Amino acid sequence: MNTILLQAISNPDVNLQAILPETIVAVTGIIVMLYDVFAPKQKNVTTVISLIGLAIAAYFMYSMWGGGPTTSWNGMIANDPLRISFSLVLLFVAAVTILTSTVWSERETVPVGEYHALLLFATFGSMFMASGNDFVIIFLGLETLSIATYVMAGLRKSDLKSNESAMKYFILGSFASAFLLYGMALIYGATGTTNVALIAERIASPTFPGLLLMGGAMLVIGFGFKVATVPFHVWTPDVYEGAPSPVTGFMAAGPKAAAFASFIRVFVIGFPLIGGATAAGYLHESWVTALAVMAMLTMTVGNISAIVQNNVKRMLAYSSISHAGYAMVGFVGAGVAKTPEVRDAAIAAVAFYLLTYAVTNLGAFSIISLVGQKNDRRTEFEDYNGIGFKSPVIAFSLSLFMLSLLGLPMTAGFIGKVLVFRPALEAGSVMLTTMVVVAVVNTAISAYYYLRLIVVMFFRERTTDWSEPKMPVGVAAVLLITIIGVFYFGLFSGSWIEKFVTPSAPTAVQAAK
Amino acid sequence: MASTVLFYLFAGIAIGCALSMVYHRNPLYSAVSLIGVFIALSCIYVTLAAPFIAAVQVLVYAGAIMVLVVFVIMLLNLDHDKPVTRLSYLYAIGGFLGVVLLAQTFFIFAVVKKGPKADIDPNVTVGETMSIGMNMYTKYLLPVEIVGILLLMAIIGGVILVRRLSQPEMELVVEHELELRHHEE
Repeated sequence: MNTILLQAISNPDVNLQAILPETIVAVTGIIVMLYDVFAPKQKNVTTVISLIGLAIAAYFMYSMWGGGPTTSWNGMIANDPLRISFSLVLLFVAAVTILTSTVWSERETVPVGEYHALLLFATFGSMFMASGNDFVIIFLGLETLSIATYVMAGLRKSDLKSNESAMKYFILGSFASAFLLYGMALIYGATGTTNVALIAERIASPTFPGLLLMGGAMLVIGFGFKVATVPFHVWTPDVYEGAPSPVTGFMAAGPKAAAFASFIRVFVIGFPLIGGATAAGYLHESWVTALAVMAMLTMTVGNISAIVQNNVKRMLAYSSISHAGYAMVGFVGAGVAKTPEVRDAAIAAVAFYLLTYAVTNLGAFSIISLVGQKNDRRTEFEDYNGIGFKSPVIAFSLSLFMLSLLGLPMTAGFIGKVLVFRPALEAGSVMLTTMVVVAVVNTAISAYYYLRLIVVMFFRERTTDWSEPKMPVGVAAVLLITIIGVFYFGLFSGSWIEKFVTPSAPTAVQAAK
Repeated sequence: MASTVLFYLFAGIAIGCALSMVYHRNPLYSAVSLIGVFIALSCIYVTLAAPFIAAVQVLVYAGAIMVLVVFVIMLLNLDHDKPVTRLSYLYAIGGFLGVVLLAQTFFIFAVVKKGPKADIDPNVTVGETMSIGMNMYTKYLLPVEIVGILLLMAIIGGVILVRRLSQPEMELVVEHELELRHHEE
């Protein structure tokens, strides 16, 4: 018995190379934490350490393109374009958030080192959500990400709004995690496995077909909460408003992208359409319909609610809800794809869309952090009155981000929207075409509140004093990166989209036009 | 035969304790009854050849979670108020949920009765501690490692949130908040 045991233990399917980027992020988190213990007065050292760690992780993640086994760790880790593209987005989000939060950690007494450690652990969890090919990994990644984010939302302990934000996010988030876990258990009951690839094989002949549908519904609720889709969006405005602005930027970009990665992997890859199998066919049809309806609702409710907001952070919270709706259009498009190539292109489109959204949104939130002053007190539309020509750098870059969120041609947001709408339109079904029409109408609606901010900044008289906030190096770097990003992805996005689609042969798909 | 007798014994204890938990007005008695439910359940797990789950049930539910529940009861000092009339509408919701749960139970019962019967394999070791440990350190090695990071991070997060804040600052922001509210009104 003992020899068998030893053999089994010394011979698991261990592939450290496959999880190297995640490991680097976690180790950086631990180093940051330890450094902070011995030098608690520091502000910038852990910023630099975190950025270096994230850069190394990104380098190794990038070098995985086109190499290595497709799965490892007994099939628990997938190594496909979905994982790599989403992981790069997540690393980018973390790095930019760390740079943005320099403004905030300098003027307030925040535990900087612990904050960076939490952010790195959150990124670690979110990367496992992108790479997890097994419900166990996906759930653990989600919990790591969520718990870190709950704490980060409440990091400004002396602020009642921040406390409220953390409390609401924690209670509702735990509730959603429970739904997700229940759904996973039901799917396990129906198929006898937690591995997404095996589920896709066994879904044609499930043990209990009813459990499959119930599990699928539970998973939609759980993931729907995490990506903030209507009707599971109610927490978003309060949580986004109360959390410190850099953290809000992170929450709108990072956890949303990570949740989309798992959502897509479980539904598009795990619940495919299998010819001749009734239960699988029914499941596929119901989730596609449910998500299409949810996408339409999400876009409409998000945009219409954003119109009536007077707080910029709340406005961007509703805007982030509606952007989740746009991303779901591409997601549903991937779900109905007939061939693997079309499916992968649609998944890549969603990843690219979330990248463009992250670039734009993080830029916008860096400015909101800058203008917000101490404790984010200046986040109403009135606080932006007439700053246009007094602080041109701030005003013009914020206008650019608003135009990119709106999806003006030549900006990143435009290419992102075109790419996610295309697969749904090409599927040719009435429902999906309706969905795209709704999306386009919604883009027009959203013009109102994005342009409103620009109008407020440039054409409204200012009644109170305006003292231009000092711009730290970190925020200047963020602005530079995001402005270049908005134009770069808007004008020369072709090579990146090709990379996102096919890891080994970058010339295969011409998705840009 | 013996296992059937044991099952009815423990199931009876569990149902009895559950009834006593709902029946008692004093939350502390309810909590103690709940421990009885957990222990009876863990005995049923033992008869189902799942000793590990039985042990975890006692450790986690009857141990850790009950300590938490008792702590909360003690801290809130609940036995003074009598919220009987205030919560009368909850009876309707509770009854409805009870009916739903009952229907669900019978549904599962019917489906399992109807479903394919698998023969019992005496060599299966799924529920044993040994096989769970083996799987944790072979097949599920990576999840165990992720749980390590998760717990570390949860501890740090907890410490960050409860650590003492310098008092003047706290008052300042809270006052500022009140001032803003006043201003809005």
